[in-house]
Amino acid sequence: MAEHDISAELQRSVQLALANPAGKGLRIRSGNTRGHLLPGDVTDEAIPALDTGRHTGVIHYQPDELVLRARSGTPLAELESLLAEHGQEFAAAIPQPGRASTLGGAIACGWDGPARPYGMSLRDTVLGCRMVNGRGDSVNFGGQVMKNVAGYDLARLQVGALGTLGLLLDVSLRLLPRPEFSVSRVFAVPEQQLPEWWGRTRALRPLLRGTCYLEGLLHLRLCGRERAVKAAMASLGGEESALDWRALGDLRHPFFCTDQLACVNLPPQSAFRPATGSSMVEWEGARVWVRDGDHVQLQQQAREHNGFVEVFRGKAMRLPAPAREWQRRLRNAFDPEGLFNRALYTAHFHGSEADPCR
Amino acid sequence: MTEGQGAPIVTELRRAISAGRVLDRREQVAPFECDALPVYCERPLAVVLARNEEDVVTTVRLCRQHSVPLVTRGAGTGLSAGAKPYGRGVLLVTAPMSEILSLSPERMTARVQPGAINEHISRAAAAHGLYYAPDPSSQIACSIGGNVAENAGGVHCLKYGVTVHNVVALRIVTIEGDVMAVGGDTLSHPGYDLLALVHGSEGCLGVVTEVTVRLTPLPAQTRTLMADFASIRAASDAVSGIVRAGVIPAAMEMMDALAISATEEFCHAGYALDAAAILIIDLDGDPDEVAAELALVREVLRYSGATRVQLADSETQRALWWKGRKSAFPAIGRLSPDYYCIDGTVPRHRIGDVLEAIDAFSHRYNLRVANVFHAGDGNLHPIIMFDSREVDALDRVELLAADILEYCIEVGGTITGEHGVGMEKINQMAVQFSDLEIAQFLAVKQALDPKGLLNPDKLIPTLAHCQEYRAIRERRRESSDG
Repeated sequence: MAEHDISAELQRSVQLALANPAGKGLRIRSGNTRGHLLPGDVTDEAIPALDTGRHTGVIHYQPDELVLRARSGTPLAELESLLAEHGQEFAAAIPQPGRASTLGGAIACGWDGPARPYGMSLRDTVLGCRMVNGRGDSVNFGGQVMKNVAGYDLARLQVGALGTLGLLLDVSLRLLPRPEFSVSRVFAVPEQQLPEWWGRTRALRPLLRGTCYLEGLLHLRLCGRERAVKAAMASLGGEESALDWRALGDLRHPFFCTDQLACVNLPPQSAFRPATGSSMVEWEGARVWVRDGDHVQLQQQAREHNGFVEVFRGKAMRLPAPAREWQRRLRNAFDPEGLFNRALYTAHFHGSEADPCR
Repeated sequence: MTEGQGAPIVTELRRAISAGRVLDRREQVAPFECDALPVYCERPLAVVLARNEEDVVTTVRLCRQHSVPLVTRGAGTGLSAGAKPYGRGVLLVTAPMSEILSLSPERMTARVQPGAINEHISRAAAAHGLYYAPDPSSQIACSIGGNVAENAGGVHCLKYGVTVHNVVALRIVTIEGDVMAVGGDTLSHPGYDLLALVHGSEGCLGVVTEVTVRLTPLPAQTRTLMADFASIRAASDAVSGIVRAGVIPAAMEMMDALAISATEEFCHAGYALDAAAILIIDLDGDPDEVAAELALVREVLRYSGATRVQLADSETQRALWWKGRKSAFPAIGRLSPDYYCIDGTVPRHRIGDVLEAIDAFSHRYNLRVANVFHAGDGNLHPIIMFDSREVDALDRVELLAADILEYCIEVGGTITGEHGVGMEKINQMAVQFSDLEIAQFLAVKQALDPKGLLNPDKLIPTLAHCQEYRAIRERRRESSDG
């Protein structure tokens, strides 16, 4: 794995941008595998890019501690291979839209994979980070231990912040032992029977790692000790599923190959049937992907179910900003000059009258 | 001490909230002068016993209008003086807001008021085969609002996470007196992760008026092991060995010889009085998984040099072993007129080093220290025994505590795992964080509470305080070296 520490260079770039108040701010990029899935212009070539792609390598990894600290530009795939050598994995399955997907990009986006309701989300596994804030200062929050309540939890706050609060230099994440054994089963299930199935999957919880309902088929993934998984499988029945869970989690499954893609976030076990497009249900009904649908209509429908729509491909829509004032003040507290990822901030956090659409 | 009578804010609070719920007479406010760390006490100007969110909004708005500091208190079980009032300030008590508002077995959530007692939530959920996982030792008394403020942990958070991992939504009253909803029933939320920011913010950013917790299915099976060791080092190595073997126990607790003898005398749990340390380990989940992991853990304990390993053969025995562990603090309280519990977290593989260092430090100050702690996540709870009637006892305790916490930082740990900074560890914040980091914390506080009225001077020290403490520390080090 390439070891490059370019912290000083990155910090200097931020300080230089600060010294130029008339500048266009900075655009943070590294693997460039997620930009096309983010409404808000992240590819505006006129804005200087801060490239963390060369800031790579593991700072600390001791398998006993179940903690990994690595630089933000390190490709996730390389980190996963290292962990696998020690029989470990990230405690949250992190989506990797491409081979070049990096740790920093994953934290900035904060996306979660199929296992999210049954274990930890990515934000749950963040223990600490070092970052350069909008004052050009290099600051470290959290740490490498499991429990830590010293100061505000500013490390976890970076998850899903899309780099609008600062430039991540390194991140410490919680790890878990790799499961000994895993299987996937598939069942032909009419849509109206799904709620009944969510009652059944509850009982599989300690072993369940994914549920996916697509084209009339319900796929379940179980992981754990071999003896336990085999016993559960025997009582469950069904056929062996060929679903590629990895491709599903990485948003590379053929279902996602479309120009019109949205994700509806809902309360668990929602009986949500999109009136538009074709759908795939994950997370026991708490996440419904819709392709080729009318996003405006979808948003209206999601609201009726206490949910909201996140557009991945297509014309962006304003996200609800329930605590808009706090968001604005927080951005200001980290980045008073508004240096970092202005377009993403406007599209995702500002909720202003400005049209965030591409 | 200032009497509240006559202060304009007290008159206005009385008018807006029912008079009987605004206390300001000396004998009325005296019981609220400290939380569970009585070393820090101050009688507040007035105490408001909030019945509902409107009472909270009214109190916050009046405090803002009069520029009066506001400290929020739940059940008062905090161990870092986070709920210590100010003589010129109002203490807002949310303990009377203790209802469980709704419980959804399908969504596995419970919506509760901030004064709801931690254990009551699990009791209400039990009928649906569910429970609330974080279990601080004070769970029979502590409130969920306080758990959020401190991001409380507990015995079983090694596997199930701390409060921030088990809360899905909050209602918060901001210093402007606005009610804000954070998080929600969905598993992902738009915007910054304000849930994460509020957890552990010690009442410095807002007042929590409602909490929606995630419930966990009760495990199909729980088995408990107890292992005796002839040295603390061997017990510490076993902890790392179990994790290395790929097992995450639901709980993994350690007690040293002093803690063992105190608790054994107190509740006769059957602990080995000749052991230097014992480990109590819970494995839970699918019965087949538990069986496989039980075999693995037994093997690790054997090669780690455990002198005896027992498996609880009944629910009664399990409960007794845990009763001993959970009553360790009061048991130690019987051995010593006063005790003081600290809360550093260190990397697991350094537990042995840190416990040896604590032993050496304790001789330096001529104080006894018992250790009973969450070994699985490296969260130490050294309990310093002392007699406050001795002239310099408290000074020695504070110096010993500072040495221990600062050693935790030195080995890559933190000054607090679950008790919070409060007033107690405000000095050590200056050691753990640089001025630039403290400045970022202060910028967040300033952004959300511009006048600094919410729990002032707790959690984050001023930059001047940091510099002052670092200078004192430097002088102390020089004089001890010299």
